[in-house]
Amino acid sequence: MKKTLIAGTALIGLYAGPALAETIGISIPAATHGWAGALNFHAERTVERLKAANPELDFVLTTTSDPGQQVSDLEDMVATRNIDALVVLPFESEPLTAPVQRIAESGVWVTVVDRGLSQEGIENLYVAGDNDSFGRTAGKYFADTLEDGAKVVVMRGIASTVDNERVAGFQAALEGSGIEVLAMDHANWNRDNAFNLMQDYLSRFPEIDAVWAADDDQAVGALAAIEQAGREGEMIVVGGAGMKEMVDRIRKGDKTVPVNVTYPPSMISTAIEMTALGLTGAAPMSGEFILASELITPENAEKFYFEDSPY
Amino acid sequence: MSGTASISKNRARGARRPDLRVIGPLVALVALVLIGMALNPNFLSYANITNVLARSAFIGIIAIGMTFVITAGGLDLSVGSMAAFVAGLAILVMNALAGSMAGLPVLLLGIALALLSGLAAGFINGILITRAGIEAFILTLGTMGIYRSLVTWLADGGTLSLGYELRELYRPVYYGGLFGVSWPIIVFALLAVLGEVVMRHTAFGRHCAAIGSNEKVARYSSVAVTRVKLATYVILGLLVGIAVVMYVPRLGSASATTGLLWELEAIAAVIIGGTLLKGGFGRVWGTVVGVLILSLIGNLLNLTDFVSPYLNGAIQGVVIILAVVLQRDTGAAR
Amino acid sequence: MTAPILALRGVTRSFGPIEVLHGVDFALHPGEVHALIGENGAGKSTAMKILAGYLDPTGGEVLLDGTPIRFAGSDQAEDLGIIMIHQEFNLAEHLAVDQNVFLGRELKRGWLLDHKAMRARTAELLASLECRVDPAEPVRRISVPDKQMVEIAKALSRKARVLIMDEPTAVLTERETEVLFRQIERLRAEGVAILYTSHKLGEVSRIADRVTVLRDGTMVRSDPAAGLTQDDMAAAMVGRELSDLYPAKAAGGAEPVLEVEDLAVPGLVEDVSLTLRRGEVLGIGGLVGSGRTELAEAIVGLRPRSGTVRLKGRELAPERVAEAMRAGLVYLTEDRKGAGLLLEKSLRENLTLPLLETFGWPLIDRRREEAALDKAIADFAIRAPQRGMAVGNLSGGNQQKLLLAKTLLSDPDVIIIDEPTRGIDIGTKQQIYGLIAGLAAEGRSIIVISSEMPELIGLASRVVVMHAGRKAGELAGEAVTEGGIVRLAMGMEQTARDNAA
Repeated sequence: MKKTLIAGTALIGLYAGPALAETIGISIPAATHGWAGALNFHAERTVERLKAANPELDFVLTTTSDPGQQVSDLEDMVATRNIDALVVLPFESEPLTAPVQRIAESGVWVTVVDRGLSQEGIENLYVAGDNDSFGRTAGKYFADTLEDGAKVVVMRGIASTVDNERVAGFQAALEGSGIEVLAMDHANWNRDNAFNLMQDYLSRFPEIDAVWAADDDQAVGALAAIEQAGREGEMIVVGGAGMKEMVDRIRKGDKTVPVNVTYPPSMISTAIEMTALGLTGAAPMSGEFILASELITPENAEKFYFEDSPY
Repeated sequence: MSGTASISKNRARGARRPDLRVIGPLVALVALVLIGMALNPNFLSYANITNVLARSAFIGIIAIGMTFVITAGGLDLSVGSMAAFVAGLAILVMNALAGSMAGLPVLLLGIALALLSGLAAGFINGILITRAGIEAFILTLGTMGIYRSLVTWLADGGTLSLGYELRELYRPVYYGGLFGVSWPIIVFALLAVLGEVVMRHTAFGRHCAAIGSNEKVARYSSVAVTRVKLATYVILGLLVGIAVVMYVPRLGSASATTGLLWELEAIAAVIIGGTLLKGGFGRVWGTVVGVLILSLIGNLLNLTDFVSPYLNGAIQGVVIILAVVLQRDTGAAR
Repeated sequence: MTAPILALRGVTRSFGPIEVLHGVDFALHPGEVHALIGENGAGKSTAMKILAGYLDPTGGEVLLDGTPIRFAGSDQAEDLGIIMIHQEFNLAEHLAVDQNVFLGRELKRGWLLDHKAMRARTAELLASLECRVDPAEPVRRISVPDKQMVEIAKALSRKARVLIMDEPTAVLTERETEVLFRQIERLRAEGVAILYTSHKLGEVSRIADRVTVLRDGTMVRSDPAAGLTQDDMAAAMVGRELSDLYPAKAAGGAEPVLEVEDLAVPGLVEDVSLTLRRGEVLGIGGLVGSGRTELAEAIVGLRPRSGTVRLKGRELAPERVAEAMRAGLVYLTEDRKGAGLLLEKSLRENLTLPLLETFGWPLIDRRREEAALDKAIADFAIRAPQRGMAVGNLSGGNQQKLLLAKTLLSDPDVIIIDEPTRGIDIGTKQQIYGLIAGLAAEGRSIIVISSEMPELIGLASRVVVMHAGRKAGELAGEAVTEGGIVRLAMGMEQTARDNAA
């Protein structure tokens, strides 16, 4: 079952009636890069909002920087806080599968966000972005707008499943388009690495028509390097995840940054809200919600621009 | 007796010839340059050389300070996080001041703040190591975590970006330059020359080496051991501040990933350059060569499709080990 | 005479371009105590290391039981029963005494270590050496003489056919030396061949059956000990007749230069007062561990202290060693290698370290440094094969001379010298004694701390004796005798203080 979820925030109003004190545990990666930072931002804001709206709900929010710590956090939540529901964004799929399974089997409601577990059917609810669609949307834009024989360089993120799925989607969309991928190297979702990598791409290739930076932090670095080399007019840069700065450029009609691809960190809000909803019994919210990536264009940019978001 | 002395003096002077142990890192650097020339014709282009030198500048400036710390028998793991924290703090304060003051004073205040907070952070490390007697490795491991989470906290988990106008005003500090040489390169070069002179030709440099060689001997020789050790950390903090002043205008932002692993790159550069990790001997020019070697490896890997990008770390590791082995082996053979 | 166990035939050895042993012939017989003597740098250590498999000869051969052998390393030599006890202790400081004794040859039960057996065996060995160290004590916490005893116990724990001892008594008291000699005699009776080096010629005549003298890498004589006097040995070592070892004593002036009142270092030194006059050599005697070194270190500001120290009438602040140096008070450490010199640095860097600021600021003037080194080499007769070499490769005597030059660089008025001649050959000793007398004659004041009675008696006009952290007494003029010092040092004569005053 696949549904496209449009606006999770609309669901808040539905909480009503007498509720028992329920505890929801939330475990997400620490804010080590922009997207994860935004994830934390949205998670904290949602928790505050829900607490205010429903005093019977209790939340435990933990952030981790490695899978081992995440497993310990989960164990602590079950042992000391006696959680009724768990919202988890697994740091890595493999090591978290068994611990989450144990928690699910003990009767706790489990919502998995973004990164699927390696075994199906454990979770009650799965909310995720679509990495294949993330890459495919960017690739499709290139295939549609660039000429036959256009030259593209690609910046990959940290070598991982997420990165692989995105790149596979991107390459699939380019197939048969006649667009040439000159090089793919890792910039590790880091601005500084992307800046250096772009400098080197620029030295290496006299002709580049487009850069798929795959992530807006990387796009920031790439743009700075292009500007430094004075080659702004030559190529377009497409990032991803809808960073405020990028969306702003798009809505202002920047030629170098014509479009962007969404991968909304607010999916964590959706997941928490749906879990709360399921717990309070207003509506059963199980299943799978895949948030496909959308193309942000100058025409629709306004609706993706959030002034107070940190990302 | 004077006869013996003069004979031995002549012998010592006659024996001065190029020694692999001394020039080992240089040989590695030249080899990398030759490989680069063979692999890509653009390698020696003005733009590429400028890029590599400028991006070496941040870690290079920090590594110069690290050379003194390590030579005096210390270690500082906190510099990467410290750089991120100082950058974040400077950006935050500049943004806050931007509304109430003209651009240039804000910028100068931001720069002064970066230098001062670097100095203060170095002083905190130094005072806790020398006075409270905490092991340098553990203490700076602690402050590394502290600064890293402080910057994450300052940035609310996201990215701290300098306001548009300030960024435009500040930009030339990274992108501008003199006679086609950009400022980071000029600053790096000046500091390297200064560092080399201080290390080799001043009492302070000699005292660092003496302390790292045998702290007790230094103390018995009336060297102000505590003060010199403290000074190495303070200098390193100040240099972190200078590196940040050059770094912020590049992308105009700082985040939790800024300066990630800089401490290890700086330490690696120092060791590749021939400074002893256990202290007692250090040379700044070697550190500069070490930094360039590390940058060149990354640059070369980006300029070619020679190896899978998954193996970049492995190549880097092999070159680091080779550069050090080159010195060790010839050293033992002597 | 029995056939030799271990012998050298025409052995040469070079380090780089420098040959330090020139065709040495040498034989060691079972049941013999063979003393190998010579000045520092004469090649004793090198010869011993070749015998024990630590070094390969450059030319010539090593013969074991009459057949040429080339040791793969000291391990192989040890397996063949050739054990060497080093002058520098090869002990793991953080391991316990018993763990050190059995290091690398641990006793096991199955695959587990047999701690009980090792501890018991160690206790036995130490008891035979009359050493009262607890086998479970970490080595870093035991005293220097005890460490020497542990080294010896370690050697005794193996089945040795040849035992090579490099100055084992340098850090031992006379009583401990006697214990060691009894063990040596026991081993000799068992047929073990013992090679022994020492700078203490009295000991050599006392224990050795045969004496071989090395000078400048050449064997100059090898004779039965019975027919040799100490003067013969010294003459052979130095290559000339030694006139009186000690120079004439300078008569000190009346003006007090250094006044110490009620000085105390918590737990180590209590209530010590002393006065040093201009041009005087004052001796400080006492057993190792009696607080002599701690007293000196407290006076110059290397240790926290209470009480007052006045130099030329001006009071010195505690723990300000640089200030004391600038005021004209310096200390030469007994721990040459641990606290005196940077072993891996050059002569020049060591010499100028305490006074670098005076060699140019902000930049050091290398030429002035070189000039200072030239002067030091000439003034102190330092013999360095290469000018740029690391100080650790110098012989002990030349290290000591360099340390003296370094300490005297600031042109001090008061010099405290701790163990001026430890581990140094007789020729260099004489030079250093001459230097000390010369300094006093120039009007400087000197305190000499020494464990060697003849040194105190020969140099000092007045001797303060320490016992258990306190000043046990003071002797002057005719009262400075070996017996007097020993009685005070052993704490036998508490009233001597009053007599001396």
